[in-house]
Amino acid sequence: MIRNYLHIAWRSLKKDSLFAFIKIGGFAIGIAACLLITLFINDELSYDKHYADSERTYRVISEIPINGEVLKNVYFQLPLADVLESDFPEVEKAGKYNSSELFGAGKKTIQPYGETKSVIEDGFVFVSQPMLEILELPFVEGQPENALTDPLSLVISKKKADKLFPKGDALGKTVILDYDTANPYKITGVVDRSSIKSHFDYDYLMHLRDTNFNWVNTNYITYIKVQKNTDIDALKTKMLSVVDKYIIPELNQNEMTKKFVDLYKQAKFDLQPISDIHLKTESKIFDNLKHGDIRFVWLFAAIACFVLLLASINFINLSTAKSANRAKEVGLRKTIGAFRKNLVFQFLTESILLSFISFVLGILLAWAILPWFNTIALKSIGIPWSSPLFYLIALVTALLIGIVAGLYPAFYLSSFKPAKVLKGSLTTGSKNKNLRGGLVVFQFAISIILIIGTLIIYKQMDYILNKELGYNKEQVLVVQGAGVLGDKVDSFKKQLLELPMVSNVSVSDYLPVEGTKRNGNTFKKIDDPTEAVGVPGQVWAIDHDYVKTLGLEITLGRDFSIDRPSDATDAVLINQKMALELELENPIGKRITNGDDWVVVGVVKDFHFASLRDNIAPLALVISNSPDMISVRIGTSDLNESIAAISEIWGRNVGNQAFNYTFLDDDFAKMHDDVRRMGNIFNGFALFAILVACLGLFALSAFMVEQRQKEISIRLVLGAPFKSIYKLLTVDFLRLILIAVVIAIPVGWFAMQRWLEDFAYRISLDWTIFLLAGAIALAVALVTISYQSVSAALIQPLKSLRNE
Amino acid sequence: MLLQLHNVFKWVNSGGQRIFLLKDINLQVQQGEFISIMGPSGSGKSTLLNVIGMLDGFDEGEYQFLDESVHNLKEKHRANLYKEYIGFVFQSYHLLDELTVKENLEMPLLYKKFKGSERKAMVADMLDRFNIVGKKDLFPAQLSGGQQQLVGIARALISNPKLILADEPTGNLNSKQGEEIMGLFKQLNEEGVTIIQVTHSEKNADYGSRIINLLDGRMI
Repeated sequence: MIRNYLHIAWRSLKKDSLFAFIKIGGFAIGIAACLLITLFINDELSYDKHYADSERTYRVISEIPINGEVLKNVYFQLPLADVLESDFPEVEKAGKYNSSELFGAGKKTIQPYGETKSVIEDGFVFVSQPMLEILELPFVEGQPENALTDPLSLVISKKKADKLFPKGDALGKTVILDYDTANPYKITGVVDRSSIKSHFDYDYLMHLRDTNFNWVNTNYITYIKVQKNTDIDALKTKMLSVVDKYIIPELNQNEMTKKFVDLYKQAKFDLQPISDIHLKTESKIFDNLKHGDIRFVWLFAAIACFVLLLASINFINLSTAKSANRAKEVGLRKTIGAFRKNLVFQFLTESILLSFISFVLGILLAWAILPWFNTIALKSIGIPWSSPLFYLIALVTALLIGIVAGLYPAFYLSSFKPAKVLKGSLTTGSKNKNLRGGLVVFQFAISIILIIGTLIIYKQMDYILNKELGYNKEQVLVVQGAGVLGDKVDSFKKQLLELPMVSNVSVSDYLPVEGTKRNGNTFKKIDDPTEAVGVPGQVWAIDHDYVKTLGLEITLGRDFSIDRPSDATDAVLINQKMALELELENPIGKRITNGDDWVVVGVVKDFHFASLRDNIAPLALVISNSPDMISVRIGTSDLNESIAAISEIWGRNVGNQAFNYTFLDDDFAKMHDDVRRMGNIFNGFALFAILVACLGLFALSAFMVEQRQKEISIRLVLGAPFKSIYKLLTVDFLRLILIAVVIAIPVGWFAMQRWLEDFAYRISLDWTIFLLAGAIALAVALVTISYQSVSAALIQPLKSLRNE
Repeated sequence: MLLQLHNVFKWVNSGGQRIFLLKDINLQVQQGEFISIMGPSGSGKSTLLNVIGMLDGFDEGEYQFLDESVHNLKEKHRANLYKEYIGFVFQSYHLLDELTVKENLEMPLLYKKFKGSERKAMVADMLDRFNIVGKKDLFPAQLSGGQQQLVGIARALISNPKLILADEPTGNLNSKQGEEIMGLFKQLNEEGVTIIQVTHSEKNADYGSRIINLLDGRMI
C-alpha cells in the first residue's frame, strides 16, 4: 500500500515539477537555515559543560547601587579569594585571575630562551594556582595541583606550545616575555583547550604574584567552589561580613577612599553559576571575555523557526491551491473503496516523502554554505556527520515536519465528495482564498520585518564607520610591538619622519581603538573646597606629536610643546567631557590631580576612544613614555609603498624582529565587528526568508493564472488589452503585500528601536527606511508575480478555449 | 430483490424556490437486470444514478439495498455499503493518470486489503478476460478512449460487485468503440452482473432489459 502511495507521490512530483521544486526547494532552504542556526545555538550552549562540579562552581559578582543604578562588577580585591576560603567553611576552594593590561596581561612578546626572533601573542593572564583546579583545565603535560605555585611559572595551551615548540617538548622550556631577560618564565604545564569549550579562553597563564595586597584596589576576578549542599543564598548574605571586617576598615584609613565606605555599606554579593558565564552575563558587566549573548541565541532561533514556518506555509498553500488537480483522484479513490483515513494517510505519506527529500537537500545546502556562515559568525562549526544522534534528530524532525505541514492539506483534500468532484464542478470556496491570502500576508510581513532589520543594522554600521569621531582614523599605520626598539625609538621616529610620505609620527600605546592600553583614575580639582568624590577618568601617556598625528582638535589653550620642558612633567590636556565633569569654567591654568598634580594647558575636542555603544568618558593626556605602539600618519594614498619603506627602516633597526602593523581604521572597524557580524547573519537569513516567500508567491500566482486561464482567454477574445489582463492578475497580490507592509512596519520599528538603544550614538529611525523596506518587498513581489501575469496575458486564447 | 426506491424526492433550494431534481421515484431492481435510464439533459438521470450509487443523498423517501435501509444509515455505513457492492463506470473513464493499467486495476484491491499474491492473480485474471495483457504497463494517456473505458470497466468489476453503475459509458467514444463496450456490458449481464446505465442513445438502451424514462426528475 505504502509502495503504491510513494509511487503515485513520486509520479505526481514528476508531472508537476515546478510546484514540486518550489515545495521541496522552499523546504530545503528552511531546513538549511534551521540546521545552521541549530548548530550555532548548539555551539553557543556547549560552553562550560566539562566541569565535574559545575553546579558547585561560581564566579563572584558585586552589586553596588550608585545613583539609583545597580553597578555590577566582577573585579575584587586580591585577598578576597583567600579570605573566602579561610573564613567560610562552605567554600571548598577559591581562586582568582587578573586579565588587566595595566598589570601586564593581554598582549606580550614571547621568545623561547636562546632564540632571537620574538612573536607578539595575545591571551596572557595572571592566574592563581587554585583556579587551575576550579576550571578543571585538561593538562596534557604538567600537574594542575602545582603548575602555577612557583613564581615565573607559565602554563600554555597546546596550540601555542605546538606553535612555539614544534618538536613538542614545551614542558620545562624557558621563555622571555617582553624582552625581560632578567625574569625568564618556565613552562610548567600544557593544557589542551581544544578538548573543552570554556569561557576562559586564555592561552598563556602566568603565575599570579600576591603583591599589591590591599582591600582597596579591585583587579581580580574571583571564583569559588562550594561544598556540596551549600545554601547559596545564605552564603551570599554571609559573605557580606567581608565588607565590614576587611574592606571598610581599610577604606577608612585614607581620606581619598573614605567616600566609598557609604557605597560599600549598600553592597551585595551575587554568585554566578559558572555555566551561565558564557551566555548569560549581562552586557553591563565588563570582564574582558568574549561572550555569547543569550538574546542572539533566542533571536536566531526565532528567525530559524520563522523561515521554516514560511516554507511550511508554502507547502500548505500550494497543496490546497492545487487541490483541483487531486480532487478527481480523491473522488475516484473514494468510489472504488478508499476510506478517508486511507486518503489522509496517503497524503501524509506524500508530504513526509517531500519532507525527506527536502531534508537531504537542506542538509547539503547547509553544508555548502557552512564555510561562509562560519566566517561571518566567527565560529568553526562542522556538520556532525559521524554522530548517530544527528541522523536520528534529522529523521524524526523530517517526519514531524512532514506530518505537521501535511496535516491540513491531507484533511482538506480527503474531504471532497466524490459525486461533486467527479462531475468536475469543484469550486474552491472563498474561505480558502482568505486563508491563502492570510498566509501570504504573514510570509511577507516577516520578510519585511527582516528587511527593515537588515537596513537599519546596515545604516547604523555605516553611521558608526563614517561618524565624525573627533580624530582622523584614515591613513594611520600603527607599528605594533615597537617596545623591542628600546633606546632606538627616537632615532626610528626621526628616520620615519625623513620619509617623504610620512607626515607625523607619535609614540604612544594609548590609541582610540580597542586592544590598546586603558586605565582607570579618579580626578579632582586641587584647591577644591567641596568634598566631591572625584571624576572617574583615564590618563593616557602620549608624546608631543600625538595630537597632530591623530588629528585631534584643540578647542582651548594649546598643544604640548617641545620647547617648554615643564610640559613633560606637569602639563595636562583634558577633553571637553573632563572639563565639564570637573566643572572647570575656564580650564586653562587650572590645577587638577589624580594623585599626581597637573596644570591644564589645553582642552581637546571630545573624540570617540571607545566603541560607539558608550558615551565619551573624561580623559586626560600627559607626556609620558609608552613605547610599544608607534602611529605613523601617511600623506600619500600609496600605502604599499609606504609599508615597504617603513618596513625597511624597521629592518635596519631591529632586523631580527618581525614587522607587525595595523591600520587605525581597520582597528576601529574591528571594534564594531560584532555589529557587522550580526548584520551579515541577519542579511543572510532575511535573504532566505524573502526567497522562500517569493517562491511561494511565484507558485501561487502560477496557480492562479492556471485557474483563470479560461477567463483570461475569453477576455482576450473579447478584446481586452494586455494592460488590463496584467492588472487583473497582479492587483490582488499587491493588495496582500501592502497589508503585510502595514503590519510589518510598526513591529519592525519597535524591535529595531530596542536594538538601537544599545548604542549611545545611533541613527534616528526615519520613515525613509520603512518606505524603502516596503518598496523592496513590493518590487520583489511584483517581479515574481509579473513573470506569470505577463506570460498569461500573452497566451493564444484559442488554444486554451479549444481544449474546453 | 437487489434494491428498491420508494417515493424518493431530492431537491435544492435556490432563491427561495424549491427546485426538484428527483420527484417521487419508485423503482425496483432485481438481480441480473440490465436497466437503461434515459431522458433529456437535466432530467435527473445522473442524479438518480448517484442516489442509487449512494454517492449522493436524497431528501425524502426510502431506499432499500439488499434489505438494508439506506435512508437510515449513517454516511459512513452507506459508504461501506457501496464500496463493497457497487462498481462505477464513468463517461470520462476517470483513470488515474499517474498509474499504469495494471496499477489502476489493482487499486480497489489495495483498499479491500487483499494480499499481494491474491491481487496479482485477480489483476492478471482481469487483464486476461479483457484481453489487455499487452497494455498492462501503459499509462492511460497512451491508450485510445475505447481501451481506457475497457480498463475502467475492468476496474469496476475486479472486486466482484453486485451492481455496476455506468454513467454514459460510451459518451466519449466513437460508434465502433461504443458498440464494443455495449457488447461487453451485454456479455457481463448474461454472466449475471446487474447493470444500470445512463444513456442518450436509443441504440444503447436496446442492449438492456428495461428502460426507465425520466423527465424533469419524474419517471414517465
